[in-house]
Amino acid sequence: MSKCRIPLGPFHPLLEEAEFFDIKVEGEKVVDIEMETGWMHRGHEKISETRSYTQSIFLVERICGICSTSHPFAATHAMEDIDNVEIPERAQYIRIFIGEMERIHSHLLWLGLAGHFIGYDTLWMWTWKYREPVLQIFEKVSGNRNHYAMFRVGGVSRDFDNALIPEIHPVLDMLEKKMLMIAGAAKDDPVLRSRLKGVGVLTKEDAINYCANGPTARASGVDIDVRRDDGLEYNLINFDVIVLPNGDVYDKLVLRVLEIIESVKIARQCLDAFPKIGGDYLNKVKHISPGEGIGRYEAPRGEVFHYIRSDGSNRPLRHKIRAPSFSNIPTYKASCLGIPLADALITLAAVDPCYCCTERSIRVVDKNNKKLEHNLLTMSREKTANIKKAVAGSEKTPIDRIFED
Amino acid sequence: MSDKGTEFFEKFQDKITKVIKKPKRIYFNVKNEDIWEISDYLSNTMGCRLSVCTATEVYDGLEVLYHFSDDTTGIYYSPRVKTGLKNPEINSITPLIEGANWIEREMYDLFGIKFKGHPDLKKLLTINNPHFSEDDHPMRFNRNRTKEK
Amino acid sequence: MAFYNKIIKKSIWVFHVSASPCNNCDIEILDLITPGYDIERFGIKLVGSVRHADVLLVTGIVSYKVAPRIKQLYEQAAKPIFVIGIGTCTAGGATFKTSYNKAGVPLEKVIPVNAYVTGCPPKPEAMIDGVLKLLGTLK
Ligand code: SF4
Repeated sequence: MSKCRIPLGPFHPLLEEAEFFDIKVEGEKVVDIEMETGWMHRGHEKISETRSYTQSIFLVERICGICSTSHPFAATHAMEDIDNVEIPERAQYIRIFIGEMERIHSHLLWLGLAGHFIGYDTLWMWTWKYREPVLQIFEKVSGNRNHYAMFRVGGVSRDFDNALIPEIHPVLDMLEKKMLMIAGAAKDDPVLRSRLKGVGVLTKEDAINYCANGPTARASGVDIDVRRDDGLEYNLINFDVIVLPNGDVYDKLVLRVLEIIESVKIARQCLDAFPKIGGDYLNKVKHISPGEGIGRYEAPRGEVFHYIRSDGSNRPLRHKIRAPSFSNIPTYKASCLGIPLADALITLAAVDPCYCCTERSIRVVDKNNKKLEHNLLTMSREKTANIKKAVAGSEKTPIDRIFED
Repeated sequence: MSDKGTEFFEKFQDKITKVIKKPKRIYFNVKNEDIWEISDYLSNTMGCRLSVCTATEVYDGLEVLYHFSDDTTGIYYSPRVKTGLKNPEINSITPLIEGANWIEREMYDLFGIKFKGHPDLKKLLTINNPHFSEDDHPMRFNRNRTKEK
Repeated sequence: MAFYNKIIKKSIWVFHVSASPCNNCDIEILDLITPGYDIERFGIKLVGSVRHADVLLVTGIVSYKVAPRIKQLYEQAAKPIFVIGIGTCTAGGATFKTSYNKAGVPLEKVIPVNAYVTGCPPKPEAMIDGVLKLLGTLK
């Protein structure tokens, strides 16, 4: 069968960001994917060298609008790592609270977009509806729906208003209830199961070899979580790291649902702690001494890494930024090859919500430019039969765990 | 430092210079010839994960800092390799760790460091960008600036 | 023209391009069509092709790599098309104004612009307001 090349992007109707994929297919099977990056390159590392430390925090916040707490979190860690700055306890709780609320809204966003990619728009509308109250909490706490500007070297820039606690609890309760509902849907819904189960498997070996991190690695059975490994603020909190074994898109979805429930628990612990812990929220740092510092944080998508080298002036000499998707996106080479085109798109999207692509209207041609109608028909029949089989034998999944207790 | 770390420093003590130790971050210098062996030991024997590499331009050359994260203890091992300002060249570790592929391409793009043995060394971020010619590396101080059109 | 403007005000179709933004403006635009804001009740609809659109929403600082594509998109659109720059990025570059890869700050350097909605990111209400104000100026 001859190869057919399908260019995707950079401005595809459903690609929310400009990215270019060059997909080669044989029949319906993906045989090769190349990706061209650089459409969104803005040169943060160079701009950061011209900004003071406080200004760079606002700059790194604008790397990504969805992880807009994770980057300042890691950058302040890196700056504090140079001098081992102590952070007041109240500031630590505020940081954790903001970080976890962001994880909730980011995972909800991904869930919605994932539903959108597989043609399940109901899920999209639901999850984004539940995301809205989270953004409103942010507006109350920090003054802006996104880009909260809460971080400073040595603490946070604003205090948390304890009067907001009774308003936030009902939202968390609602989120937990709705997440259990979505978990139930993932468990019972034949559409989600048949569309995602066993699709785009990233094996544990590949995940390690490609240096994947975050939910992508944890869904493949690699037990890494910077929140637990690096400690720092998160030593104050009890939480579980969720690791699932299969590495397919279904596990990534379930993992994110379970992580939202876990984040709700962490946020509740913070809310309980706020009235008890008073005092300062910012330990003013006047000077950062010469040296090197590494800071990292578990963003919703994985490990954010910042490296700062200081020469004692008020600007960083070098500021290296590594976003989690930088390590996770190359795993498409391992997970996308050999699977049908329609599944490749959700597999690409499973790593990171930024690539939404539902290009499906392709015409498969054989060598003589004749349509392979017959083949497609048998293929689709086979697929339906397989799906029926898979749905009938519903074995126990990790998601059953949360329904047992 | 963990036992594994102590073992590592004993094994390679004649190849490692200028060790800077902090509680969870360890920086040290290695030679270009030894980076393959040290990466091999760190990633395959000690099970570290390559987070990223940082290239920096300093007054006497370019340096590349590899960040290996030991996820069981939270310690970072950062070997540092130095190279000259003219025709910078470093041995590639992509054949060893697949995840280094994009990392090395990015450093080639922004700093112009050539990685010997990289399977497909081309620009990553400014590829096919009409504003940046093939030898324009935007993070270098003396940038080979393409003329504004 | 007057007849066209009268019709267009009833229901405008919007196409959204992201040209090196930080993503946040795009997320807020998508937010508009979900139940929280639901702009379809005003007849505003996001469409999949620029050839169907009456309004083009552009976000970001337009890097040198996407600038030719943005021009191409603008040329492909059926005229008249109204261009709105969303976010401070398009108007003044926001934090990226010293970037080495910015072609379109302000966006007029690349394509003609009818209105800017500033804010980093602008609130969804502000975006609705911006679109409706632009329509208000049509005679
Ligand atoms: S205006 Fe602000 S929020 Fe919008 S894309 Fe630019 S930096 Fe991001």
